[in-house]
Amino acid sequence: MNQELHEELKALVGVEGPRLEALDEVCQPMIRHWCEAMQDGNPLYTDEEYAKKSKYGSIITPPTMLLTWSMPPLWPPREPPSGPLDQALEKLDKAGFTQIIIAGSTQKYHQALFPGDRVSFTYRVESVSAEKQTALGKGHFVTTTFTYTNQKGELVGTQILTMLKYRTDS
Amino acid sequence: MVWKSLYWEDVKEGQELPTVTRDITPTTVVSCAIASRDFMPIHHDRDYAQKAGLKDIFVNTPTIYGFAGKYLTDWTGPEGELKEIALRLMMPCFPGDTMTITGKLVKKYTDADQHLVDIEFTFAVPLGLNCTGKGTIGLPTKSSA
Repeated sequence: MNQELHEELKALVGVEGPRLEALDEVCQPMIRHWCEAMQDGNPLYTDEEYAKKSKYGSIITPPTMLLTWSMPPLWPPREPPSGPLDQALEKLDKAGFTQIIIAGSTQKYHQALFPGDRVSFTYRVESVSAEKQTALGKGHFVTTTFTYTNQKGELVGTQILTMLKYRTDS
Repeated sequence: MVWKSLYWEDVKEGQELPTVTRDITPTTVVSCAIASRDFMPIHHDRDYAQKAGLKDIFVNTPTIYGFAGKYLTDWTGPEGELKEIALRLMMPCFPGDTMTITGKLVKKYTDADQHLVDIEFTFAVPLGLNCTGKGTIGLPTKSSA
């Protein structure tokens, strides 16, 4: 990678991104839609009678829905990105690495989420790799840690996400 | 419907989980992407996916998480509490693929008052492995029942 790009990306590592609020509160309809598509019949997510008698006392969201609450809007689009991750991806875009794919991820679930909860998250870019040759093309691995909290500021979960920002071998 | 639970005392290191298969269709890919609020064209627009070097739209990562969570808690029963899922993603899963999920209990242990198991699992597709992963789940104990 050229030196200028390398320095610009290095400057974004370790910088904490802005706190972003989920677009929707945790809610039963979205949970049901997820379970419908995933074909997940776990009664804790969709059976109120069962869930009431459980240790949670209510329906909970599937923990694996963690990312769903933080997805960006389709429309209207969010204001121009100002976080270090968006900036890093933009710089890699401009350098010709226009495609993106997820290479790996670790999610940790600390606390249940209930309908009515409001999730917010922040993140930090942990590293950007040197240019690598992969099966999809040449690219850079970008690793980011996301931290999710509820409306009380309690830690709900974390995710370490490694993305490959690449260009196809033509 | 009676929901059975696995107890920590009843599982053994080295135990295999049941093999589960799912036939993936374009509707699977799109419905799961939308349910996860993922509107990236690569998961619903075949032309876009092909321009990006892939043969077709493919299952997104949140869906892999959803399938993994379901695989683990279908086995444990609803009292299994997901603690962590780590994924290493490999070949994409395309419409027309049958996804085959296998798992093995690799570690059984306690941490403070939690009774935990680690499951290593793989998602296989015709092209090879879609992902390998590890899930950590808390199980109820008979003494707490």
